[in-house]
Amino acid sequence: MRLLLIEDELKVANFVSRGLAAEKFAVDVARDGGSGLEYATAYQYDLIILDLMLPVIDGSGVLRAIRSKNSHVPILILTAKDAVQDKVDNFEAGADDYLTKPFSFAELVVRVKALLRRGPVNRSSTVRVADLELDRLSQQVKRAGRRIELTSKEYALLEYLMSSAGRVFSRNMIIEHVWDQSFDGLTNIVDVYVRHLRTKVDDGHDRKLILTVRGAGYLISDPNEV
Amino acid sequence: MNAHSLRFRISVWHASLLAGSLILNSVLTYTVVRHYLARGLNISVEDHARTIGEKLLVNLADRGEAYLTSALNERYGPELYAHYARFIRVTRKDGRVLYQSGPPNDQSFDPSRVSVPIGLVTRGYLRKENLPGGHQLLIYTLPFRCRDGSWYLIESGRLTDTVDQVLYRLLLALVLGLPTIVGASLLGGNLFMKQALRPLDDIEQQAERISSTTLYERIPVPKTADEVERLARSLNRMIARLDETFQQSNRFSADVSHELRTPLTILRGELEEAVRQNSIPQLLDAVGSALEETERLQKIVVHLLAISRLDGGEVLREKVRLDLGDLARTTTEQMRLLADVKSVEVRYVVAQGVEVEGDPLYLKQAIVNLLDNAIKYAEVGGWVEVKVAAVDHVGILEIADNGPGIPAEALPFLFERFYRADKARSRETGGTGLGLSIVKAICSAHGAEIKVFNAEPHGSRFRTEFPLAGVKSELGTNLA
Repeated sequence: MRLLLIEDELKVANFVSRGLAAEKFAVDVARDGGSGLEYATAYQYDLIILDLMLPVIDGSGVLRAIRSKNSHVPILILTAKDAVQDKVDNFEAGADDYLTKPFSFAELVVRVKALLRRGPVNRSSTVRVADLELDRLSQQVKRAGRRIELTSKEYALLEYLMSSAGRVFSRNMIIEHVWDQSFDGLTNIVDVYVRHLRTKVDDGHDRKLILTVRGAGYLISDPNEV
Repeated sequence: MNAHSLRFRISVWHASLLAGSLILNSVLTYTVVRHYLARGLNISVEDHARTIGEKLLVNLADRGEAYLTSALNERYGPELYAHYARFIRVTRKDGRVLYQSGPPNDQSFDPSRVSVPIGLVTRGYLRKENLPGGHQLLIYTLPFRCRDGSWYLIESGRLTDTVDQVLYRLLLALVLGLPTIVGASLLGGNLFMKQALRPLDDIEQQAERISSTTLYERIPVPKTADEVERLARSLNRMIARLDETFQQSNRFSADVSHELRTPLTILRGELEEAVRQNSIPQLLDAVGSALEETERLQKIVVHLLAISRLDGGEVLREKVRLDLGDLARTTTEQMRLLADVKSVEVRYVVAQGVEVEGDPLYLKQAIVNLLDNAIKYAEVGGWVEVKVAAVDHVGILEIADNGPGIPAEALPFLFERFYRADKARSRETGGTGLGLSIVKAICSAHGAEIKVFNAEPHGSRFRTEFPLAGVKSELGTNLA
């Protein structure tokens, strides 16, 4: 998978490309809108990550130029502009997704992968992590064969974590996915729910599946696989 | 008319001044006229008496008393004085009456009943004699000595009725005229002033409409070339300056938030990478802590920008009609666990069908922030209350808790950015100090008001008042 990152801020470009390389993507970096557009027309990319405020040609111009060439490459906008109108304008111009700076890298990866329609967004009806099993159809959760009763929010939270086992989800990602962005800023609610979920899922088991990464968020993973 | 209006006060002043000067003028007029008329009457009876003496009595010895009677009748008979009644009496020194005028045409008095002067009269004097029927006779009594040395008393009188009548009519005209003139001038002045002050009313209404979100609007300038026009112009200049300052301050917040994004992005990205690679495990905790603070900084930046946008009158994403009660209930249910872990009871006092217009995400955010606050401050094992009601075309959403309440000195600043009533506690819980400012900004953008009260015996109560949907209000201008 080959990605193009058009970002003028050197340090941002560096950590994003390093991180994506670690996820086994091939990443080209363009530092302004003009060369970004040249790269985009010269090569076939699987996805383009585009900053909006760029020298030479701005991001919106690049976006329109790419779309006018009848290209359907997925484009993810990565920008400091978070005004509603900016988002609307860029979606109308053909952007596929929109991520506001500062962002959590985990979220960028989740979105990139979702746009590429490639795992680990697991859509199969049963998901497993170690001896924990979640059935999306019946909405039932079992640990070591024993049924666990969850409230709907707890279920949504667990399903979200299990959709990409081993990946860290930031509190904001969890808030926006399980609640909605109105709850933005209320990250303590995530901690409370995770604590409850942990009691129901991990208590009485030696292998703790729900883990906390300080400052980053939560993840669910099978300790034996690490 | 409102007793506090300028129009009312000017009218009252104007009327009092006018009435005062009219009263003064009337008193003066009346006094002068009365004096003048009385003097005229006096002169008339005095002249009369003297004329009788000098013309008729001088030669009385030569001509005889019969001549006197006929001459007096000829000159001063009642038929000659149809308009006012005269009285003439000539008495000799020994008391014998030589002449006495007959009753006047209108029979208003009987001359024979007029009293006779008693004692020695050495010089002329005036007296007034009250007669039956309410008449008054002014009489001048003149002692007159003929050339032959004989003495006579000449009495010449006139009824004061005519003068009294003139004075009475004057008084009537003055007394009746005063309220009429004052009333007419009040009415006319009022109409004129209403006309003149109408632009002020327009200015007031427009100024009332202009809020922080509509500072681009201006006050109508009446082309009257007077104080009102100048007032409107200088008010407009003031609004322009306010607008500029406000925009500058908003732009500053927005610029700051914006400029902080790139360094924050880098900070966060690098720290996350360090966590991912787990390169130096002993630093993991420190990096995690740095990440937490980065996230808090990010929240501050995002919230600050959101507030400047809302305050700057940016359009709300969508404006839909929604049921405030439903929204409050579903939002609260999603936060239920926060209350449960503190054993805080959630009480609903929610009326049905309280509909407002607004952006559901923002309104929800306001409820989340208020409720989060309430749960945070409620006693362990206490309660929070979510109340929705409609009172007088106003949709009320109240969120209360039974916590310690808000210190009185904090109340005025509670909605200011970065104000913390309980400094130690809120920072510990990871707040940004912007939660209530956001709630206020959201309320303002929806044309709603927010108030906070301390409840009895303790606890606080946040009340937001929204214009009800379908009720015409300023909502339209704020959301347009």
